[in-house]
Amino acid sequence: MNKHEPMSHEQASELLPWLVNDSLAEGERDLVHEHATSCVICRRELHELENLRDSISDVSAATAIPAPDMRRINARIDALIEKENRGQLLLANVREFFRSPWRSAFAAQTALVVVLATVLLWPQADEPEFTTLTDPQKLPEGQYIRVVFEPSLPASDLSSLLDAMNLTIVDGPSDRGVYTLRLSATLSAANRDAVVTDLSANDGVVFAQPVPSGVQR
Amino acid sequence: MTRSKAGNSASETKAANELALVDAVMRRDRGAFAELYRLYHPRLCGYLHRILSNAAIAEEVLDDVMFVVWKDARKYRGQAAVSSWIFGIAYRKAMTAIRKEGRYQSLLDHGADVNTLPAKASHDVELIQAALVQLSPDHRQVVELTYFSGFSYQEIATIAECPVNTIKTRMYHARRRLKYLLPILAGADEEQNFEQA
Repeated sequence: MNKHEPMSHEQASELLPWLVNDSLAEGERDLVHEHATSCVICRRELHELENLRDSISDVSAATAIPAPDMRRINARIDALIEKENRGQLLLANVREFFRSPWRSAFAAQTALVVVLATVLLWPQADEPEFTTLTDPQKLPEGQYIRVVFEPSLPASDLSSLLDAMNLTIVDGPSDRGVYTLRLSATLSAANRDAVVTDLSANDGVVFAQPVPSGVQR
Repeated sequence: MTRSKAGNSASETKAANELALVDAVMRRDRGAFAELYRLYHPRLCGYLHRILSNAAIAEEVLDDVMFVVWKDARKYRGQAAVSSWIFGIAYRKAMTAIRKEGRYQSLLDHGADVNTLPAKASHDVELIQAALVQLSPDHRQVVELTYFSGFSYQEIATIAECPVNTIKTRMYHARRRLKYLLPILAGADEEQNFEQA
């Protein structure tokens, strides 16, 4: 507020209690005074508030104030200090323990072992396995052939054909209709090639191919 | 709070002394705390006694206030005067005690009912006390902190943690209420004084 700008009645009126208790800042006090001098309502109000202040100081003087008794608060503070000290003692003991480089090294080593053990022994979630036709697949020892049959080949004919050639289905059909067949254990690689030739010549077979031994595709 | 030059100097010295005491309390100086306790005991005791109207509860709350001063001295950053900080704690503790007691709930909600006013008070002190009891806790706090404790409206706003305009408004309503109540309690003609108020 501009110091030279007079205060409105409302502004001055609401500050009167603090003019009476002498807590207004100098500039504000002067402005309230200036208004009160020219305003009958504020002058009357100021007079009433001064009377109230005087009565209140009588009340204040009449309030019985007992002598300070610090016993209870001292007991509470003692309890708090004891609690704080216990925490500090624990902290100091931990610090003291780690002051020795050997102990620090031992603690660091233990922590490392615990972390590693946790990482290694923590049960890992089974990762989903994705395979494609070109993925290598391990097959048990033996002679294998991959075959694609005619889609129109009846199941009974397929079964008869496999029986006739001593073949067992070990995998398939895949999405593309590929079967993996195992030859009888008594047959050799040469027998396998002969079986492949026979299968290829069959009308019910679209495609037949030997599977090389070892890690197979 | 006193604005004369001599008064300013005295209050500055007092403030510096209190600040030094809080600083020492911060460093866990029990002697400084005892001095601060003794310094504030009469003011806080009077304030809490009048606000709570119960000597035993006032003493208990006073200990709670000073315990917070001891515990939280490290949190005091000097953003407000020491007196405002301590009275702020006392204000909140007093309001909590009032709520806990539930004695002023109806006053909080509706203000004083003329039918519940005590019989005529014969003496000024009794008259004022009887009138103050009829004010809502918020209004009573402002009157108490202004007239009994001598705080400025800015300091009261800091203590009560609310805007200065709220303090002015509370004082306005408290004044109106006192103007209405005091003549009734003094036994003056009720209707006539109500019109004047």
